[in-house]
Amino acid sequence: MGDATPFDEMHNPDGTVREPYRALAQWIEAQPENGLSLMQADAEGIFRKLGITFAVYGSDEGTEKLIPFDVIPRIISAAEWRKLSRGIEQRVRALNAFLHDIYHRQEILKAGRVPAKLILNNAAFCPDMMGVDPARGVYSHIIGVDIVRVGPDEFYVLEDNLRTPSGVSYMLEDREAMMQLAPDLFQRIKVAPVETYPENLRRTLESVAPANVTGTPSIAVLTPGIYNSAYFEHSFLADQMGAQLCEGQDLFVDGGKVYMRTTTGPERVDVIYRRIDDDFLDPLTFRPDSMLGVPGLFNAYRAGNVTLVNAPGTGIADDKAVYTYVPAIIEFYLGEKAILSNVPTYNCTDDDQRAWVLENIGDLVVKEVHGSGGYGMLVGPTSTKAQQAEFKKKIEARPDNYIVQPTLALSTCPTYVNAGIAPRHVDLRPYVLVGDEIRITPGGLTRVALKKGSLVVNSSQGGGTKDTWVLED
Amino acid sequence: MRIAIRHTLSLTPPPDTNNLVFQLLLTPGSGATQKLERWSVEAPGTSNAARFVDAFGNLVHFVNQMRPDGPLAITASGIVETFDRNGVLGKPGGEPVPALFLRATTLTRVPVTLYGKFRSTREDRIATLHALMARVGEVLGGSEAGQQQSQDGQSQSQTSGAPKADAALLAHGFVGAARALDIPARYVSGYLFGADEKPAPHAWAEAYDPGLGWIGFDPSLQLCPTERHVRLSVGLDALSTTPVRAVPDGEGVKTLEVRVEAA
Repeated sequence: MGDATPFDEMHNPDGTVREPYRALAQWIEAQPENGLSLMQADAEGIFRKLGITFAVYGSDEGTEKLIPFDVIPRIISAAEWRKLSRGIEQRVRALNAFLHDIYHRQEILKAGRVPAKLILNNAAFCPDMMGVDPARGVYSHIIGVDIVRVGPDEFYVLEDNLRTPSGVSYMLEDREAMMQLAPDLFQRIKVAPVETYPENLRRTLESVAPANVTGTPSIAVLTPGIYNSAYFEHSFLADQMGAQLCEGQDLFVDGGKVYMRTTTGPERVDVIYRRIDDDFLDPLTFRPDSMLGVPGLFNAYRAGNVTLVNAPGTGIADDKAVYTYVPAIIEFYLGEKAILSNVPTYNCTDDDQRAWVLENIGDLVVKEVHGSGGYGMLVGPTSTKAQQAEFKKKIEARPDNYIVQPTLALSTCPTYVNAGIAPRHVDLRPYVLVGDEIRITPGGLTRVALKKGSLVVNSSQGGGTKDTWVLED
Repeated sequence: MRIAIRHTLSLTPPPDTNNLVFQLLLTPGSGATQKLERWSVEAPGTSNAARFVDAFGNLVHFVNQMRPDGPLAITASGIVETFDRNGVLGKPGGEPVPALFLRATTLTRVPVTLYGKFRSTREDRIATLHALMARVGEVLGGSEAGQQQSQDGQSQSQTSGAPKADAALLAHGFVGAARALDIPARYVSGYLFGADEKPAPHAWAEAYDPGLGWIGFDPSLQLCPTERHVRLSVGLDALSTTPVRAVPDGEGVKTLEVRVEAA
């Protein structure tokens, strides 16, 4: 996996264009010389108008940035998507079953398939969730699975993101922008729609309202506020769904039920799509110093009077240390082999594996167990000796705090850069909704590492996005 | 033994509190060692309180008071009949899995010197737990006076319905050490019917034996709970068994004065 030439999603090794990209290639061919560059300039204008920005933590320049958008779409064939979506559905089913089990009878721990200590002593395990029965037994309703491709038929799941995955607004805006930029392309190529996402999100949320709710459930999106890096997305999704956007102070608990303060008096809230981390949800049950949450919210949830989406404590199922057990989790609950592979992961608490990792750190990727957003990680092949030495020290000091994986040769897609069209590494985050049924939006967010040779696609680290097309049969 | 308990607390919200939200773990359960003859929890707002069983099996009253006016009086009272079972509670159904109580918490962190010598013991689990109880008493219990105080069963007011610090300290020490030895252990908050024939807040521990089930250990008294012990709530530590937890839903307010009287 390390040294292999990365898989080019547009071209065969002999230089011919792969089937799914044929119509696009012809279209690009037919564009006037400066066509793409004009499109790229137009795209900037569209995104400025849409107002999509994201905050970069720890950056010296202004905190708000426009996320770079690449005008060349990424294309996935109908057959490729079928396999991917089957694999994704299998994972989210198994992981929801796992969450129900570890917060109830813990059969998988009794059977010794996952070490009990890894779960019960994990910071992401939420003891307060023991015995809670969420509506329809669903814990993680909104999931963004990170997938990388390394070959024609080879996909790996990098992370399951079962807490509060972000980025879905970029998926929607990328499509919107692309339709404005190249409407003719959508005439020639049949692309599966993504614009149904907000409607599907609303249906999913309504379907998991507490059983005692009669009539149309009332939905609120709970945001930490305007200083959160994903605030734009919170307001965007609330607006698209026709739901209320609120902060903790807008909600209160009375008589064990949750209400929103409105100008016309309190209004009952049945389902809360919360974009606040577990710890900050409710100062009565979790962190007492939290000013973002709603006092008593968890108890109202526990008493069955409101649904929290996603449920608290779902983080245990996407913990990086639990990740290696996902294939075993799928087998345990579904009796099936995993359709999508896991990236081989080395366990640094094992003496032999750690010794091997320290020896070969220059070829490996090191991630913090509780890290995210591409912060606090080392990509061996592009790192300096000093960075490698620093991570060796860190691993030796706290081996349980890191997981280590081989450097994957992420697939590339043609990307419009200064020098014209050039291959750049990409990953994919499809969005999954779990409620009365499992709804997977065809495509998802493609993140692209705009720097030549870079494998880090996070927007906080200089990554951009592309519209992602799943072809219809 | 029939024990009558009246536990009164006073909750004083800060001025201008908009919504006082609190939960009460003030209802003992029935089991092998005790039976509730009658029990009631009274507080302003309890009539429309939500009731639920928490993650550890405790009955919780979840109450709030919009714009509370002055101190709130909370009274839990009733009669509990207790039985001496040498601390053995067994394996009642419907409880969370014992393995849940292997989780380390901040309050149950203990030095390895407390339990290290039991790591390679050849004794069976119950003998080990008794030895551990002695060890915890020896290391953390300090003087005889500390034990004496607990037994006195004081009736003067205390804060948060909390037991004397030494009983909580010893219970945490025992729980933390047992968990470090891979033995599920939980913290118990309850009442001790003292030599003065008055109940007072107290704390002890319970550890799990695959054969006998849950067994109580009171490291501050150095015995297994007797019919003088009334279990009120169980959890990972004192935090998850706090009898009254409250949050004023207002600006910049964090603390509440809670007074406890046991009689």
